[in-house]
Amino acid sequence: MTIDATAPVIALDGLTKRYGMGEVEHTVLDNINLTIQKGEFVAIMGPSGCGKTTLLNILGLLDHADDGEYLLDGIPVNTMSSSHRARIRSDQIGFVFQSFNLVSRMNVIENVALPLTYQGYPTTKRLQAASKVLATFHLSEREYYMPWQLSGGQTQRVAIARALVNNPAIVLADEPTGNLDSRSSHVIMEELADIHRHGNTIIMVTHNPALTSYASRVIHMIDGRIDTDTQLPRPAKPAVAPKRKLGKKSKKSQKVETA
Amino acid sequence: MRLLVGHHLTNAYESLRSNRMRTALTILGVTIGISSIVVILSLSAGAAQIVNNQVDQLGGTIAVIRPGTPDRESQINTITANISGSEMTSSLTERDVKDIEDIDHVTAVAPIMILGGSVSSDSSRPRNIQIIATTPGMTDVATIPMAEGQFIDTVTNDDTAVIGHQLSIDLFGTDTSVGRTFTTHGVQFTVIGILKRQNNPINFNNVDFDHAAIINLQSGKGFNQGIATIQQINIRATSTDKFPEVLRQVNEKLTRNHHGEKDFVILTDGDLARPSTQLFSTVSASLTAVASISLIVGGIGIMNILLVSVTERTREIGIRKALGASNIHIVWQFLIESLVMSLAGGIAGYFAGYIIAFSIARSFLTFDPVFGWSIVGASMGTSLIVGIVFGLYPAILAARKNPIEALRQFH
Repeated sequence: MTIDATAPVIALDGLTKRYGMGEVEHTVLDNINLTIQKGEFVAIMGPSGCGKTTLLNILGLLDHADDGEYLLDGIPVNTMSSSHRARIRSDQIGFVFQSFNLVSRMNVIENVALPLTYQGYPTTKRLQAASKVLATFHLSEREYYMPWQLSGGQTQRVAIARALVNNPAIVLADEPTGNLDSRSSHVIMEELADIHRHGNTIIMVTHNPALTSYASRVIHMIDGRIDTDTQLPRPAKPAVAPKRKLGKKSKKSQKVETA
Repeated sequence: MRLLVGHHLTNAYESLRSNRMRTALTILGVTIGISSIVVILSLSAGAAQIVNNQVDQLGGTIAVIRPGTPDRESQINTITANISGSEMTSSLTERDVKDIEDIDHVTAVAPIMILGGSVSSDSSRPRNIQIIATTPGMTDVATIPMAEGQFIDTVTNDDTAVIGHQLSIDLFGTDTSVGRTFTTHGVQFTVIGILKRQNNPINFNNVDFDHAAIINLQSGKGFNQGIATIQQINIRATSTDKFPEVLRQVNEKLTRNHHGEKDFVILTDGDLARPSTQLFSTVSASLTAVASISLIVGGIGIMNILLVSVTERTREIGIRKALGASNIHIVWQFLIESLVMSLAGGIAGYFAGYIIAFSIARSFLTFDPVFGWSIVGASMGTSLIVGIVFGLYPAILAARKNPIEALRQFH
């Protein structure tokens, strides 16, 4: 199967997801059409229960859509076997969760190395790669800490390091800063922005409008539908962004929203 | 698809180590089951070994003819035939014995007629024993060492007997009782020899010589309306290279004597051990069945603990799946944990069984247990099967977990 380099990384056509049956049927995602190009930093916003997380889970091949088509790198995923989906999760997708989701009985470096396990790397290579990634997040001294010995921000950085260790084309982040204070939030966002600059596609679900300024595109969802889809002008030097004051940033993002 | 056995092994080790007590008790369940199987198998192998050794000692020139059809009897028949078969009518006749004696290269033939009966002496109350009526040739076809006196021979008269060491003590209170008399079936016999203590109730003659009295075949017939009911004919050939020819001729003559009817079996070498082994294997099979119940209980223990473990680690399963683990990976992760427990139980059970078998044998039995690779294989194989059978369900359950729901669980 050849992959068209110009094809969008993600193409959704009429994607629909329903929970329940009959009278209690509830449509979580209603006919979503969306294409995401390689290298985009998409922020998905919306009230609770609008289907953001479900959409992210479907994009990450953790969940199935009931209707519609999902092309990942031009390949339809609906017909894939579960082991094929697992392989794609292993090779192409990195997950960052709100609740960090480190395996509590493994130390930091083992947690980061875990995705490589399923790619069949030998132990030494795995740990070397994990160590390298941790170094870029300035966590080298924490390699042998257990997850509960870390602060929230550190834990999420470890989780991001884990999401990146297998060099995924797409990073999916579900409220990565939801459990963090604003200071740690911006550190985390800066890390994600940095990853984005390296060419990775990032799709992030967030409640916090302040964080959308890091994104190149903001999608608002309401009741399972895409309400607005805004392309943000990329800041010429995105590295400047975190150094700005918090207030300024949120004003800017508000402006974009009203526009 | 890589199976990541190494990774799963480390993982299983870590996870089992973090719950030491729980793991140890689970393994104990399997250990008990496997050790009882090892004890049973090694002791029955020990019993079979004794008979095989006796046959080997006789140099591979011994054949035994027994009545019965050559097709394998069911095991339950074997038990009853061995225990109560002494009084049953036999298809073997004295004519058969004579004909076999006439065959070239046959050095010795001994018919064995086993009679039940009570014996009593002046100084003892009557007791039931096995009385073996045979011919002097018996000494040539079975190792029967004498402690005192002589074996029955053609010169001694009909009313003499050779008795076992223990029987002598039971009857007369001494092991030097040559010349004393006892009564059985209303006939008085004089003891002319005492057998050496053999302490060997398992042998291919199915006779416990320590507790038996050996009399002349003629006397034995006298107790049975003059008819010899021969339970067994032992034959010895001159040498191993003549042995097949002897067997062929024996077969031919007996078939002719019995009008073409195959109502006898000729047993050699390994076959000789089989009836006694069969008795033991039947007993050990039933004991093994009992032991496997404890193994099943052990397996259920593994399954139980794994189910707990799967529930405890639901979130971890979700994380692993999100990070790229396929269902097969998850199945292997838990299956290997199950196998680690069951194989650890198997190894511990083998060594425990080894110690128990020897202590039982040394304190209650007359022979040592035999440990071969087959027992190692059986114990490892069984624990492997237990691990797979009882680990598969929890493993599949774990793999089937929906990653999204699994990730939502908080522990």
